[in-house]
Amino acid sequence: MLPVIDIRNVHRIYESAAGYTHALKGVSLQVQRGELLCIMGPSGSGKSTLMNILGCLDTPTSGTFMLEGADVSTLTDDELAELRATRLGFVFQSFNLLPHATVLRNVMLPLVYSDCPVGERRERAVRALRAVSLPEPYYDHRSNELSGGQMQRVAIARALVNDPAVILADEPTGNLDSATGDMVLSTFTRLRDEGKTIVLITHDPEVAAWADRTVHIRDGRLLTDEQERALLAADPTVRSST
Amino acid sequence: MRIRDLVYETGSALDANRGRSLLTILGIVIGIGAVIAMTALIGGIKQSLVGEMGLNQARMVYIYCWPGRDITLDDLTALEQRMPEYECLTAASLANAKATSPTKSVDVSVEGVLPSYFKVMGAKTTQGSFYTDEDESASALVAVLDQAAVHQLFGNPDEPVVGKSVQLNGVSYGIVAVMESSSPMSSNGTVWLPFSTCASRLTGNWAVNDISGLAAEDADMSTIASTTKDKLVSYFNMDEETADEDIYVQTMQSVIDELDAMMSSFQLMMTAVASISLLVGGIGIMNMMLTNVTERIREIGLRKALGARSSDITKQFLLESVCLCVVGGVIGIVVGYLGSFALTGLAGGMLDVGGESAAIVPVIDVQSVLMATGICVLIGILFGYYPARRAARLDPVESLRYQ
Repeated sequence: MLPVIDIRNVHRIYESAAGYTHALKGVSLQVQRGELLCIMGPSGSGKSTLMNILGCLDTPTSGTFMLEGADVSTLTDDELAELRATRLGFVFQSFNLLPHATVLRNVMLPLVYSDCPVGERRERAVRALRAVSLPEPYYDHRSNELSGGQMQRVAIARALVNDPAVILADEPTGNLDSATGDMVLSTFTRLRDEGKTIVLITHDPEVAAWADRTVHIRDGRLLTDEQERALLAADPTVRSST
Repeated sequence: MRIRDLVYETGSALDANRGRSLLTILGIVIGIGAVIAMTALIGGIKQSLVGEMGLNQARMVYIYCWPGRDITLDDLTALEQRMPEYECLTAASLANAKATSPTKSVDVSVEGVLPSYFKVMGAKTTQGSFYTDEDESASALVAVLDQAAVHQLFGNPDEPVVGKSVQLNGVSYGIVAVMESSSPMSSNGTVWLPFSTCASRLTGNWAVNDISGLAAEDADMSTIASTTKDKLVSYFNMDEETADEDIYVQTMQSVIDELDAMMSSFQLMMTAVASISLLVGGIGIMNMMLTNVTERIREIGLRKALGARSSDITKQFLLESVCLCVVGGVIGIVVGYLGSFALTGLAGGMLDVGGESAAIVPVIDVQSVLMATGICVLIGILFGYYPARRAARLDPVESLRYQ
């Protein structure tokens, strides 16, 4: 089956006043449909860079990125924006909801940019909110009146509303206590069971334990779980990716 | 992004910053207010001038002439024959007197005028009718009062006084008519007597003080002033060199021209004030929009991550600044229109036509409202474009990380 995400030999080099930064050094990664993948890595490992490329917020300096079989690395900014609007869902550590807008309005926000007919929006938002089990009385609350766990579920509903190919979650439990975090993670596994493809980025091994598969990123290179363990065993001075 | 979404986003953004937005648009309010107040005022003045001007008044000519000797009624008859461009010429002599009614005594101005004077002036009566040529040749003891004089002497401008009498310096005159005056409550009264009566009873002098003429219907009003001047110079054998100082011919057209000249300098001043205010207002809008963009960097990053194109962000911020300006403009139009009522009191004194100050009602037309709105849209685009582009060019990755 065609992988949803197919990255081959991707390099990303940043140019700044301080010189060149080689953030990704030949990363290759395939993610299958219905997979819950976890990417782990310490800060500065290139984790965020990979996340930005997967999210079509950034393009690789070299290498190819096929999303559902379509080459992303050659697209223009507007085409990338359209891709983000229709094929990708984002969940952030700090939720990033519009604080004064209602829950429904927040969930409907991506539909504004994907040219969804106005009449369909409410129904789709309600369906997404049901999928994350947020109780109906909250729909018309302003999002800054909710608890952290509720906010993150609203954010997941927002990521779901356009029925994307991939949901990207960057430290989705980082701002939550562990009980609430578990609730959010179980929401992800349920969505995975319904066939969604989810990529989790974290440095927390407890979060990684929920995933079907974990890859590690270290100094801009990807390692499998086994390679990571071998590396740690061989040299105890190497910092664990947690 | 649909228009409907754009409008919704703009509405909620402006709503969230209501207090700050209102302060920011103050410059626009003042600028547009000034423009509207000015145009409403000038429109009102022009309209009241046209309204004031009866059919005859457009053809009325005031002639001031100092030939170095007294002008007599014989001169007037001779001039009338030499000037076929006038339907008639009429004369007035001026005096003051103490007028006494059974109840009151006041100082009034008195004009001794030929019966043709009323026709030249296009004067209207509220009661009675003006005296005739017979009264004139008989030096009859008759008087015409204006409503102001009736108000002063009898307490009410509409008091029926025809048939009653009024004493001027102790001599009793029968009131035959009351002339309409535009502000009977405020101005001092005037009493008109037949020219001969005034000369024999009050001034003791047959000299003519003022000449006024009614131009013939087919007369060319643009050249009548210079023609009249030339004929006066030749009739009175006046020195051509000093004729400009000794003769002054004023048509209603020249009054309007003078007023226009005054108004256009006034208009220029107001336009300058308004433009400065609009410029400052526009800079204020730009400043606020830049602050807005900085405050909402994360929101912009989020919107881009969720699929907003750069053009969507540009549109959103541009519409916000245009809306701010238009709201300012609408408030300015209302404030300006109300303000023009306050200004009419001021301007009423400047507009003194034919001795009566005219009542001015500000006039606002669709054209100036549309123009003001257009200016606001333009300012909004002009000063909102830079902040909007800045927002649109933000990098989504950087913006999402911004604290």
